[in-house]
Amino acid sequence: MSKSKAGLLQGTLDMLILKALSLGALHGYGIGQRIAQISDDALKIEEGSLYPGLYRLERRGWIESEWDVSDNNQRAKFYKLTRSGRKQLILEEQNWERLAGATMKALRAS
Amino acid sequence: MSWIKATLSFINARRHPDEVTREVETELRFHIEMRTRANIERGMKPQDAQSAAVQSFGDFQRVKNSCCEIRRSLPFDSTLFKMGLHIMLAVLSGLAALWAVNVSHHNLTGVMRQLIAIAVLAYLFIVVRRAQAQRRSDGEHMHDALAPSTERFRANKSLTSDLSDASSGKITAYDEQGRTPVERMFKS
Repeated sequence: MSKSKAGLLQGTLDMLILKALSLGALHGYGIGQRIAQISDDALKIEEGSLYPGLYRLERRGWIESEWDVSDNNQRAKFYKLTRSGRKQLILEEQNWERLAGATMKALRAS
Repeated sequence: MSWIKATLSFINARRHPDEVTREVETELRFHIEMRTRANIERGMKPQDAQSAAVQSFGDFQRVKNSCCEIRRSLPFDSTLFKMGLHIMLAVLSGLAALWAVNVSHHNLTGVMRQLIAIAVLAYLFIVVRRAQAQRRSDGEHMHDALAPSTERFRANKSLTSDLSDASSGKITAYDEQGRTPVERMFKS
């Protein structure tokens, strides 16, 4: 896979994680569920691949985590969006809209 | 001050690597358990539910190693931290070089100071090189996103699984050559 394509895909996952967390704090499993829910199950993400993404985003300071107790009384790590993560999400959304718009324009050109 | 948290997290991860591994494992196992419960609620037998959960998770060991590596790597993604570190490295390098130059070359102390200065410079150089290598490695190992692991591809490489994904209209995965399931069907 080319580097440019990998970069685009990684950015997509990052954006989806940020979007899922913009609706509230969640653990990793919940994030996967929320992404599936908000995309009407159209986006199929390999579940394990979420976690390196989460760790990278946390290292960048866009999300933060803390251990808490889940609904079923189990210890779980919950993630939430930081202020810089919220700003990043807005940027990502703008970039994505621009990219999608430009691609559609190119595809519709006769 | 996210870079401070990132730095503290990095220092903590370096000091207690086993703790990081345990935390990552706990988190990943929690995910598999949640998936298993969901599968059981959908009517699967407990054993099948767990196997399906493990399979849908992907390569546990690879994910775990990847997460641990990220936790233990320098938090270079923060621009502020990166700038601060570069300034600090430049100042330290300058001080070490000055210290080495301003000594008498004819006594043991002078030679020792020069050797220490060279060691400091070498150490700083290694730190920068390792950080650069880490960043490159981060960029090259972006196997996640919407793409499945190589192992999962090997397991599901049949045309029918590709067909079912393609016909359901779901965005699934690119393979190692960057081909979509439909492209794989027609071009392989």
